[in-house]
Amino acid sequence: MGFIKGSASYVRFAVEGDLPENIWDFIADRVVSFAFKDIDDTYDEDSLGWVSVLNMFDTEFDFASYAAGNYVTLSMRLDERKVSSAIVNKFVQKKEEEIKKEKQIQKIPRSMRVEIKESIQNELLRKALAVPSVFDLCWNLENSTLIFFSTNKKAQALLEDLFKESFGLTLVQQIPYVCGEHLLEEGEIDQLALITPDIFV
Amino acid sequence: MDLVDLIAEKRFIGQEFLTWLWWKSEERGGVVELPGEGDIVVVFEKHMLLEYGEGDSNESLICRGLQTELQEARTGLVMGKKLEQARIQLVYNDYEWNFTMAAALMEFRNVKLPKTGGETGNENDPEAREGMVLERIFLFEELIRLMLDLFRIFLQIRIGNEWRDELVKIRQWVGKAERV
Repeated sequence: MGFIKGSASYVRFAVEGDLPENIWDFIADRVVSFAFKDIDDTYDEDSLGWVSVLNMFDTEFDFASYAAGNYVTLSMRLDERKVSSAIVNKFVQKKEEEIKKEKQIQKIPRSMRVEIKESIQNELLRKALAVPSVFDLCWNLENSTLIFFSTNKKAQALLEDLFKESFGLTLVQQIPYVCGEHLLEEGEIDQLALITPDIFV
Repeated sequence: MDLVDLIAEKRFIGQEFLTWLWWKSEERGGVVELPGEGDIVVVFEKHMLLEYGEGDSNESLICRGLQTELQEARTGLVMGKKLEQARIQLVYNDYEWNFTMAAALMEFRNVKLPKTGGETGNENDPEAREGMVLERIFLFEELIRLMLDLFRIFLQIRIGNEWRDELVKIRQWVGKAERV
């Protein structure tokens, strides 16, 4: 949502590092290598990878569907199994009550309680359905910038890691000060470094 | 300095820029001149968020109103609060964007793109789809370009000798809110 249709929220990154000469071959290889892998039929807790911006089930990218002019358009998909702490606590207490009754004891030792909690958590996670989140991006190969269509900080951190892993390139968020370093001349940048907040009243 | 420190220490730059842009647009009734490009319409509307303090003592103030009726927001400036978010209408050539700028990190939020004729193409035709995608990318990037052009103008004034005079004018404008 956002990049392809409707209103969008986004932030800008600079892409730092060198790409090999055969850029499109390299990208084709890396995108498929780091494509999203489904976890619906596994017990994995989460999965992160690239999918097509038009279809989150497309991880084949036929005919380099991610290419649009000099841009690479991709979606980062994250599937996560989550169980709320209230549900975990409910089943932990239930189990503890059963054990107390069965063993005729008043209190369960701490080590055993930790074990119970871990096993309940794992069991519930396996039963939980993986919830998908999809975040779009658009990478401008000409000027090495990238627009990421989310202002969610966790998603941005995941993107930085996945991008580095996939392409060996570093993303640097273009906050105002960093933008300023790109917009100004060398001597001006030194002056920018020196300014301090002013009072407007 | 790493990015985390830069974000904390330099967040005032984006906030000062947004405040300056608000003043700059009101100075000429919602129009700002971009050298080499001519006038563009920049109107601050409906929604603003001001911040005061840092870290745990951070407070915010949300103001809603229509254009210059944002008196409460200007009073916030008088109290030393800084403009962190504003809903802006930007018109350049025949394009009109509506978006919220979050100043400290320069985030573009809830961006409504200009209406163009190319939105009704056949989505199943790969070429039409690529054309639609490229058009949207152009419009997203064009908004960034215009905002960065405005930001460059601000920075050049901010680091130069002109800033003292500009600051006097901004203070007078903020001061008007006090007297209303």
